[in-house]
Order: sequence, then C-alpha cells, then structure tokens
Amino acid sequence: MEKFEAAFNAIIEQDLKVEPRDWMPEKYRKQLIRQVSQHAHSEIIGMQPEGNWLLRAPSLRAKQVLLAKIQDEAGHGLYLYSVAETLGITRAEMIEQLHKQEAKYSSIFNYPTLTWADMGAVGWLVDGAAIVNQVSLQRTSYGPYARSMVRICMEESFHQRQGYEIMVQMSFGTPEQKEMAQDALNRFWEPALMMFGPHDAESAHSSQSMEWKIKRESNDHLRQRFIDRTVPQAEYLGLTIPDTKIKLNKETGHYDHGEFNWDEFWNVINGNGPCNQERLDHHKKAHYDNEWVREAASAYAAKTESSVA
Amino acid sequence: MNFTFESNESKFLLRIADTSLILAQRLAEMCSKGPFLEEDIALSNTSLDLFGRAEELYKIICRIENDKFEPDELVYKRNERQFYNLKLVEQPNEDFAWVIVRQFLHDVYAKEVFTELLKSENSEVVGLSQKVLKEIKYSHLHAKDWIERLGLGTEESNSRTQSAVNHILKYIEEIFNFDDIDKTYLSNTAEIESKWNAEINAVFAAYNITRIEVPPLSMRDYRDGFHSEYMGPLLSVMQYLPRAYPDAKW
Amino acid sequence: MESGDKVWEVFIQKKPGLAFKHVGNCHAYDKKMAIQNARELYTRRSEGRAIWVVPSDQIVSVPLDDADAFFDPADDKVYRHSTFYKIPSGVKHL
Repeated sequence: MEKFEAAFNAIIEQDLKVEPRDWMPEKYRKQLIRQVSQHAHSEIIGMQPEGNWLLRAPSLRAKQVLLAKIQDEAGHGLYLYSVAETLGITRAEMIEQLHKQEAKYSSIFNYPTLTWADMGAVGWLVDGAAIVNQVSLQRTSYGPYARSMVRICMEESFHQRQGYEIMVQMSFGTPEQKEMAQDALNRFWEPALMMFGPHDAESAHSSQSMEWKIKRESNDHLRQRFIDRTVPQAEYLGLTIPDTKIKLNKETGHYDHGEFNWDEFWNVINGNGPCNQERLDHHKKAHYDNEWVREAASAYAAKTESSVA
Repeated sequence: MNFTFESNESKFLLRIADTSLILAQRLAEMCSKGPFLEEDIALSNTSLDLFGRAEELYKIICRIENDKFEPDELVYKRNERQFYNLKLVEQPNEDFAWVIVRQFLHDVYAKEVFTELLKSENSEVVGLSQKVLKEIKYSHLHAKDWIERLGLGTEESNSRTQSAVNHILKYIEEIFNFDDIDKTYLSNTAEIESKWNAEINAVFAAYNITRIEVPPLSMRDYRDGFHSEYMGPLLSVMQYLPRAYPDAKW
Repeated sequence: MESGDKVWEVFIQKKPGLAFKHVGNCHAYDKKMAIQNARELYTRRSEGRAIWVVPSDQIVSVPLDDADAFFDPADDKVYRHSTFYKIPSGVKHL
C-alpha cells in the first residue's frame, strides 16, 4: 500500500495523470465521483432550459443550431458519466443519486428561460463560464477527466459563439429585441458568475481539491478571468452589466465588481430556486415513463444475444 | 403573404418538404425525453437530418418560384391549411412506440419516394436525393431495429407497439391516393405502394405485430391542406416568435 | 438499472489506412444498438469511417501488481532504438 501511495503522490507531484487502474486514496476517488457526476448531471439538466425554446426557435438555422447544441450537451453528459464510471460507480447509480437529490448539478439551470434572448445569454454567459472552468480542468490530475475536458472544450467551441451571435442579433435588432437582450443579461449575469462557486475562503471542497490537482485554479481566479473577458463583449453589444461597481482597475488590469447575492446562491443550491422541482421532475418523468423501453431492450437482448452476455 | 405556387413541381416538393419539417419538429420534442441518453442523441440526429432536408427542399422550391418568398417564410408564415404534410407525421409522441412506429412507416415511404426522385429532371433534386437516401437508409435501419426490439421484447412493449400501429395506420390510406401532380414526378406510384405494403407486412409479421384492417375513412386529403387536430398546436408553438414580432430579424 | 444495460468500448478508424483508435465508450443493450450508439456519439463531426465496439467486460488488462514485471524489463534494451547506434557523419540513407 505504501508503495502505491508513494506512486500516487509522485504522479500528483510531477503533474502526471492518475489513470483508472492506478491506486488512489479513497477520498480522492470520492471527491472525483462527486465532482464528475455533478458535472455530468449539469450537462443533462442543462438541456432543459434551452429545450424550453427549441420548438419555438425563430428560424430554420436557429432551430438546427440549438438542437445540435443541446444534443452536444447530452453527449457531454455521457462522456462525463463514462469518466465517473471508471471510478467505480455506474450511470444508473448516478441517476438514482440525482433523483434522490443526493447528487447536485449546477444551480444555473434552476433559472427559467423567459425569452428567446435567454438562448443568447445562456450560450454567451453560461457556456462562457463553463468553458473557462473546463479549460482549466483540462489540466486536472485524473486522466480520463482531463481527456474528456479536451474533447468537450473542442466540441463546445461553437456553443458560446452561437449564444453571442443571438445576442448580436437581438442587441442590434428592433427596440423590443434589444430590451429582451438587456433583460436576459440582467437575469443571467449574477447567476453565471456564481457558477464558479463560493469565494475561495468559503468553498468546502476547494483546498483538498487543489492539493490533489483535481481543481487547478481557484473559484475567484476563474471568475475574475470570465469577468475580464465578458465585460468588453457586453460593451460591444451596447448592453449594461447589471453591476454599478463594474470598472476596469488600472492598477490590477482587472475589472472590479460588486458583491453578489450569496443568500440567493445558497437558497437555490438548497433546492429553493425557481425551477429546481421542475427540472428534477422532468428528468424523472422521462426516465420512468421509458422504463418499459429499457426493459424491452433487455428482454430482447437476453433472448437473442446469449453469446455476448 | 400570398402563398400561391405557380409550378406543379414546387407543389409536389412542398408535400415532401412539409412532411420532413413537421416530422423533424415532432422528433425535436423528444429532446431530453428519450429512454436513455444514447437514444436521445439518436432521435436528435434524425430530427437534424429532417430539418436539413426540409430546408434544402424549401430552397429549391423558392428558386422554382423565382424567389418570391424565402424558406423561413414558408415555415413561419403559412397557416395550417397552407401546409401539405402527411397527417402521419403530425401524430403526437404518445410514447416511444409511437415515435418509432411513425418513423418506420414514414421512412419506408420516403425511401421509395427519394429513390424515384433520383430520376428527376431537376439536377438539384437528384443531388439532394442522393444525400437524403443515405440518411433515410440509416434512420430506417434504426427504426426497424427498434420495431424488432419492441415487438419481440416484453408483453408490454409488444402491446404498446401494437396500439401505436392501430392508431397510426389510419393515416396511411391517404399517402397512396396519388394525384396527377404526384404521378408527374413519381414514375411508378403503384410500385411505391406495393413495396411499402410488402415491407411493412413482412416486418410486422416477423416481430409479432398485427396489421389491423382499417376501414375506408372519411378523411380529407393532405394534398388539399387537411390535417388532424394535432397540427394547429404544433404550428402555434413553432411559429410563435416570428408572428409575435413581425418586424424582428432572427 | 435494467439488467441488460452494458458498457461497450468504442474504436474509430478516421479513414482507411489508419489504425483504429479508442475514443471512449457507450451504453447499449445489444450489438446492433452498440454500433449505432457509437455512431451517434462519436462520429457526429465526421470523425470516422469505421467503428468497432467491444463489450468492456471482455477487455483483458495487465494487473496493476504485475505492471513493473511486465514493462520495466524493456526499459534497458536501448539497442532496440535507432538512436543507440553511432553512424559516421556524412553517411546518408541510414
């Protein structure tokens, strides 16, 4: 055991990758399962707020782009479930944990999408924030997770762009469209910033995660990077960031910002956001309504494929 | 807007375009509601194929009609009675069996139609048909495999599939009431019908599904823009934004 | 979940002439479904022209405990690599 532990420590120390068959501390494994399954659930639950506008997408092009994007999210959820499976948990167990509310997903998806501009804001801000986080996770210490991040970042490169494209159309469209764009920014700005998690000092899992190099950069650091990138993009659109304290700090080169409403953050995490119940119910309904399909596939396979059982 | 079509070819292609569009929209409704993730992705893929197919057909139609309207106008500005899709594809996603049965019945038909269109005098139609036939071949295979699993799987899956078939078969009769326009662009309509029947009968028989007798129906033809009641709500949702904000560009 | 749900490893050949490469896995209940699910998941962006799927539980790997015995003995066989050999300067095509 000591030999294995030393090998594990050496991998972390030298910035190499831990692979599924390597020995790893039980807490490292648990921590990863928690994080990766949460990441996977976020992709899957994240299909719903955009799904809300899929059938109402206003052009053939917008419809195909949005469907392809939501479909990618299903694919990304699947890659991530498969990463977690290498750690000794099945997809079925993870789905059960989600349904029992033992596993979480990103709180951002508990906000409703109220206008078409929200499809812009979600792609631009929510995917934008996710990408900043995921690029950083390409260097995570668990090999399968790091590799999935590389693939996901590559595939998601169009997601944020399609969101921004919608924001451009709306911001430079009719006065009504511009109003919708500003309203979407107002509603999604702060929740998007809170996607990076609590301040470093209050983050329950952060320090151990950083030591094990599961997490490579701190919440506040990543959040600042996102703000610095996004504020000029909002300026181009002629939209106002809903934070009067946003201002470029000449000394640091970063944008200063106001404090967020952390009470809301914790309340949504704890299940009291606008759509928590709906998101979970939707997932459960799809899962249980289709149980008979999975049973049929099982029964059919049992009858016809005994050789590969 | 005035949606009169001068050319018989565009009237004919519109039937296929609208059928593709409405089926695509129905399949898009399945997004995040599939029986498991892999199948969710598969249904979205088929939906994307169909949206792409509809878009290409609308482009061809617009060119034939001298660009007096655009594809998006055809999708978002026409009313219920101006759509010419098969009633088959409007039918709702009652459960996964309905989705699969509807898809299978459609794909077997679409495969024959696009095979005929390989002989079209319109080179754009020929090019599109070559591409589309590959999509249909895959989607047809996928649907047929599911009919097999559901038909032979469990008692419940067999009975759900049977009940989907029993309902949806009502919407088959009109498909083969070919009119003169169809017959201008499909050289052998009798063969389309007989091939369709042969395959459906063989597959149903192989997987324990009964093809019930459907009595002749008093149902007006889709070629004249008649629909089931499911069509209106589908369009209301689909066309909401461009109708609510007629001045906006998207 | 239901008993028939299995994990399959997926290998994709990008184009003829290239080796099949492991790209990940998918769930499926039977062989035909496995190959279709792999297609839906891993070739949406034209990543491949051929697919292999193998049930994950059919893959055999070297036990962790034996890894050093399996692999370390090759480490000192430097003579198997071309850089081990000294060739006079000016001699070409070697």
